[in-house]
Amino acid sequence: MAFMLSLLTQERVLVTEEVDFVKAKGVDGEFGVLTGHTPFISLLDPGELVVRKGETLYSYYVSGGVAEVLPKSMIVLANTVERADEIDTQLAQTARKNAEEALSKPISEAERRTYLLEIKRENVRLSIANRRHSSRHPGQISEE
Amino acid sequence: MPSLRSIRGRIKSVKNTRQITKAMEMVASAKMRKAQARVRDTRPYAEKIRELMNRLSAIESHRPNPFFQVRPAATVGIILVSTDRGLCGPINANVFKMVTRFMAERPNVKFEFVVVGKKGQDFIRRGGYKAVGSVTGIKDRGQIEEILPATQVAIEEFTNGRWDEAWVFYTEFVSTLSQKARSEQLLPIVPEKGADGLKKPSPFLGEYLYEPDTAEILDVLIPRYFETLVFQRVMENFASEYSARMMAMRNATSNAKEVIYEMTLIYNKLRQAAITREISEIASGADAVQQG
Repeated sequence: MAFMLSLLTQERVLVTEEVDFVKAKGVDGEFGVLTGHTPFISLLDPGELVVRKGETLYSYYVSGGVAEVLPKSMIVLANTVERADEIDTQLAQTARKNAEEALSKPISEAERRTYLLEIKRENVRLSIANRRHSSRHPGQISEE
Repeated sequence: MPSLRSIRGRIKSVKNTRQITKAMEMVASAKMRKAQARVRDTRPYAEKIRELMNRLSAIESHRPNPFFQVRPAATVGIILVSTDRGLCGPINANVFKMVTRFMAERPNVKFEFVVVGKKGQDFIRRGGYKAVGSVTGIKDRGQIEEILPATQVAIEEFTNGRWDEAWVFYTEFVSTLSQKARSEQLLPIVPEKGADGLKKPSPFLGEYLYEPDTAEILDVLIPRYFETLVFQRVMENFASEYSARMMAMRNATSNAKEVIYEMTLIYNKLRQAAITREISEIASGADAVQQG
């Protein structure tokens, strides 16, 4: 049984179609959505959003936002989204390196926290991008 | 009867005008295509967040939140979206007319404006209204950050209780040939009413589960809702502006063509008449010589 997923940002539409399963990263942990889910609203943390449609998996990097889940539909209002194939691994790596370098210098607590977050974000980005290059089967989703 | 020379001069100047309007038409149509695509891209998010907020506003337990509370309207805030430049048909004038009518219908209410676009600033100045904030020079491919100064002022005014309602006035893009002035109440957020004035049946009327909790989600959602809607309306206004300008310039170009055609006709007739007159003068002169 499929349900309707809309994955949107303020500036573009990434997905509006029937899908079978979605996994997203809420602020209180990851959650999976199937048809008939209890009405549910969650803030999203930076992380991966996995969509399964039939046998195919699609992966997105979501930087945060809000998800509304209804029994027959799900709306993700994301701040920014990158499709797995859009992620610039080089850019992510340099950003991570810069943040790491900045961390090695003496800086304020607030700055330290933003850089740590930055590193975390870039790590998620890189892991999504790298996974796309390795072979991947629909069954893998249950292991995560 | 105008002289040949003065007509030649006028034809030339109208031809120049035609070239300018033609160029403006082409620039506007190129920008229009991009702006229309942008409207298509930004509409779904705005619509969905609006629907979501309407659904949330219908839930009883959210009522205490000030953004859902309907207060008697003493001061109404208006976000007026206009263009920076003119020569775009009647779209600004239509929006201003709508604002004027809106204010006339509410005689005991004070109005304050947040203005987007230079034309709107002119309107405020002419009418002697009060503007608490304004933004100009927004780019048509702009990011949402560019309008944040305007929305932040508006949200602040509402939160401090100075504004009891917040509205947005803009020109909705319907099609290349049609743009419509529209007004829309953004705050407080009230359950959407159908065309018959009754509550629309919502697809879901119960309570949600919230993660982390209602208050935190509303704190994130409400500013986002407001910004997104204003941003999207600004994008609508751009698409309307370019469409209207393209049509206005296309009309101007075809008018210029017509004028050139008519003036060329008059010019040729005059020229012909002058030649005929000269020939008949020469002929009658020759006649006189022969007879003499």
